[in-house]
Amino acid sequence: MSRFFERYEADPASFFDEVISKEGVPRAHYDKLLHRFGQFTTDDIRARRQIVNIFFRNQGITFTVYGVDEGIERIFPFDLIPRVVPANEWQTIEKGLAQRVTALNEFLKDIYHTQKILKDKVVPAELVLGSKHFCREFVGVNPPQGIYIHVTGSDIIRDQNGKYLVLEDNLRTPSGVSYMLQNRQAMKRAFPVLFEKYKIRPIENYPQELLRTLQEISPVSRKDPNVVVLTPGIYNSAYFEHSFLARQMGVELTEGKDLVVNNNKVYTRTTRGLERVDVIYRRVDDAYLDPLVFRPDSKLGVAGLINAYRKGNVSLANAIGTGVVDDKVIYSFVPDIIKYYLGEDPILENVPTWLPSRPAHMKYILENLGSLVVKAANESGGYGMLIGPESTIAEQEKFAEMIVANPRNYIAQPTISLSRHPSFFNDTELYGCHIDLRPYVLYGKTITIVPGGLTRVALKKGSLVVNSSQGGGSKDTWVVDE
Amino acid sequence: MLSRVAESLFWMSRYFERAENTARFLDVNFNLLLDLNNITHAENPNYWIALILVTSDKDRFNELYQEYTAYTVTDYLVFNKDNPNSITSCIGLARENARSIIESISSEMWEQVNNLYHYLQSVTPLTVQTDPYTFYKEIKNASHLFQGITDNTFSHNEGWDFIQIAKYLERTDNIARLIDVKYHMLLPELKSPHALSEEPMDVVDGSVDIIQWMAVLKSCSALEAFRKVYLSKIDPDNILRFLILDRTFPRSINFSVCAAEDALWRISGSSRHRYVNNADRLIGKMEAELSYTSIEDIYGKGLHHYLGDLEQRLVKIGEQVHLTYFAYHTPEIESGDIEAALPFTGIAGGRANWSQAQQHQQQQ
Repeated sequence: MSRFFERYEADPASFFDEVISKEGVPRAHYDKLLHRFGQFTTDDIRARRQIVNIFFRNQGITFTVYGVDEGIERIFPFDLIPRVVPANEWQTIEKGLAQRVTALNEFLKDIYHTQKILKDKVVPAELVLGSKHFCREFVGVNPPQGIYIHVTGSDIIRDQNGKYLVLEDNLRTPSGVSYMLQNRQAMKRAFPVLFEKYKIRPIENYPQELLRTLQEISPVSRKDPNVVVLTPGIYNSAYFEHSFLARQMGVELTEGKDLVVNNNKVYTRTTRGLERVDVIYRRVDDAYLDPLVFRPDSKLGVAGLINAYRKGNVSLANAIGTGVVDDKVIYSFVPDIIKYYLGEDPILENVPTWLPSRPAHMKYILENLGSLVVKAANESGGYGMLIGPESTIAEQEKFAEMIVANPRNYIAQPTISLSRHPSFFNDTELYGCHIDLRPYVLYGKTITIVPGGLTRVALKKGSLVVNSSQGGGSKDTWVVDE
Repeated sequence: MLSRVAESLFWMSRYFERAENTARFLDVNFNLLLDLNNITHAENPNYWIALILVTSDKDRFNELYQEYTAYTVTDYLVFNKDNPNSITSCIGLARENARSIIESISSEMWEQVNNLYHYLQSVTPLTVQTDPYTFYKEIKNASHLFQGITDNTFSHNEGWDFIQIAKYLERTDNIARLIDVKYHMLLPELKSPHALSEEPMDVVDGSVDIIQWMAVLKSCSALEAFRKVYLSKIDPDNILRFLILDRTFPRSINFSVCAAEDALWRISGSSRHRYVNNADRLIGKMEAELSYTSIEDIYGKGLHHYLGDLEQRLVKIGEQVHLTYFAYHTPEIESGDIEAALPFTGIAGGRANWSQAQQHQQQQ
C-alpha cells in the first residue's frame, strides 16, 4: 500500500468507505490504483497537481459562487484520486436510472394530460397541482415523441451499508456535465499510466449523444435540424458549461435576444437575416422563457416562444413544467410512481422522507429536528436546508416555525452518512471526504446513460454538502470492466 | 454569424480603440505641459479642459469634480467607473463583450483583454502620477498587441471585418475630435472654457507655437511620418492636411475611413459605385469626398464646422451598421424613429448589467 494510504484512516465503523472495506483492506477494484499511487512521492503528486491546475486554468473552467466578494469566477476544486465504480454496480445504477426516468416521463405525460394517477389517488392531486413548478399553461401540449425529460441529472448517494439511493432528481436544467468531461481530460494528462492499467469506459461521446438526442426530437424531419443552446448569459454561474457544450456540439450559443419569433416560428438573428431554429437546448428556467406567458419582466426570454412550442414548430429540451418532479414532496412519491406505471419495484430506492403535511410525520419531525435533515421543497444547490446534527438550537427553532407555518414547503430525511472517499488535502495527506454521484441520462428515441457521471466531493473536513455552489469539488469517475 | 456575436466583436474592438486613444491624449498632454513649463503656467485649467472637451463629457465631469487639474482629469479619464469612456470602463466593457463571445474569439485574444483588465485593476492613481509615460505606453502597447494577436489568430472573415469597422470608425471619430479641440486650444489667445465650446472660431492664426502642434502629431504617433512627407516646416496647414487627408498614414482620417469602407464592402459584397445598403452608401460617400477634398475646401467650410459634420456622419454610419447587421427589424422601423425602435443588444456603456440579476438564476 502506498505511503499516502498507510496513513489514511478510513473509519469503516461509522462510514461506508469507497476504497477500504469493513475488514480494513482495499476493495479489489482499487488495487491497481493504490499500487500506482504507492509509487508516488509528494513531489510527484505536486507535479501532477500542477498539470491539472494549468489545464483547468487554460480551459477557463470556473464556477460562480453568489454572495462572495472575492470576484465572481473561481476555479472548480478538483481532487486527484478518481472514484472507481465496478461494472456490476454500474449496471444496477444504469438500470435503476433508466427505470426511474421512464416512469417519471410517464408521470409527466399523465399529469399534463388525463391526470389518471391523480384520479386514482396514488399521488394526492393537491400536491401536484399546487406544486410551484406545475405549469397550467402546459396542460394538453404534446412535446415531440412524448418526451419531457431529455436530460436528467439525478443525485445518487450511498448509505452506511453502501447501498445506492437516489437523493433527488434534477429534471429541469441539471448542470455539471462539462466538469465530468473536463475532469476526464485532466486525469488523462496527469495519470496516463493508470489509464493503461484499467479498462475505463469512455465518456467523451457525451456531446455527440446529446446532439443526437436533440436532433431526434426535432419537430420537422429535416436532414440537419438547427439546434441551438440557450443561455441566460455571461453572468450565469454555469455560463462556462453552456458555451462549452455549444462548442463541443458545434452549434450556436444563443441568448434570448438572439432569438425572435415570427408567425409562431423561431429564428436566430444573424448578420445575413433570420435563420430557422428547430430545437432549443435551453438552460434558462421556465419562469424566464417567455415574457408573454411567464414572468413579464424577463429579459432573458423570447416573446412568443411558448406559442411556437405549442404549435409544434420548435422543440424545447427539457420540456416545460418538468420541475414538478423536482419538488421534494413529489420526490417522496417516486417509488409509487414507478410501481403505478411500470408495475415494477424500484431498482434504486429513495432516501426515506417525512412530509410535514401529514400530521403523524409533522410530530415526528418536530421531535427529531436535531437528527434530521430538513429541506425546502423547491430549492436546489444546497440552499435553504437544515442539517440537524450540525445546527444550533436557534436554527432548529427557526426551522420549526417555518415548517409549522408552511408544511407543504418542507420535507425531512434522516441524516445519511454519505459514503466517504479518500481525497487529498494539500497534496500530502488523505482524508475521507463525503461524496455523491450525478450521472447524466439522455432520453431521445432511446435512453442513453454515459458510464460514470460527476462525483461531487465535500472537500471541507466533515462537511456533508457537496454542491458546487457551496464550495464542493469533484473527482473523475471511472466505470471499469474487470 | 449571430448578430449578437457580430455586435460584441464590434464593441469589443471599439472600446479597446477608445481606451488607446484616451491614453494617447493624456500622454501627450503630460509631455506638452513639461515642455511648456517655462513658457506659460502649466496649471492653467485650459490645458486640461481640452481633454474633457475631446470626449464631449463636460457636464458629467462638472457633476463629479470642482476644477480642471492634472489630478481630476486623469482620475476621470483613467479610473472613474461612472465615466463610461474612462480607460478602466472601456477595457472592462471590451472584456465583458469578449467574455460573452468567448467561444467565438481566439483564446489568445481573450487572454490579452483579460491581462490588460487585471493590470488596470492593479494600477493606482499614484502609479500614474509618478510615471505617466510608462503607464500610457503600457496601454498603447497592449492595444497594439491585441490588434496583432487578432490579425494572427483570428480568421479574417466576417467577424474580423466587424472588428476592423469598429476600430477605424472609432479612430476616425477620435482624430476628428482631437484636431477640433487642439485647433481651438492652440489659438494664440486662450479662450475661457465656455468660449471654447460655444463660440468656435473658424480662422487659423499661423503664429501658434510649434511645440504645441508637434504635440498634436505625437498623440497620433504621426510626428515621424509627417516629417518624412513634409520636410520643410511644421505649420498648421500641413499638419491638418496630413491628419485629415493623407491616404497612407494609419492614424489619418482618410486612411481610417478607407479601411472601414473596405471592411464594410467585404461583408456586404459591395463595390465601388454599387452599394447594397445604407452603411455602404454613407461610408462610400464620405470616402469619395475625402479623396477629392483639399485643405482649402475644408477652410472654406470652416474647420470646426467640417469636423462637426464629419462626427455627425460617423454616428449615422454606426447607426446604419447597427440596423443592417445587429438589429432584427422590419422595414417600417427604418423610416421611423431609430432611437426608439432600436432594441438594445450589445454590451455597451452603462447598460452592461441590464439583466445581470436575472442571469443569476439558480442552477441545479
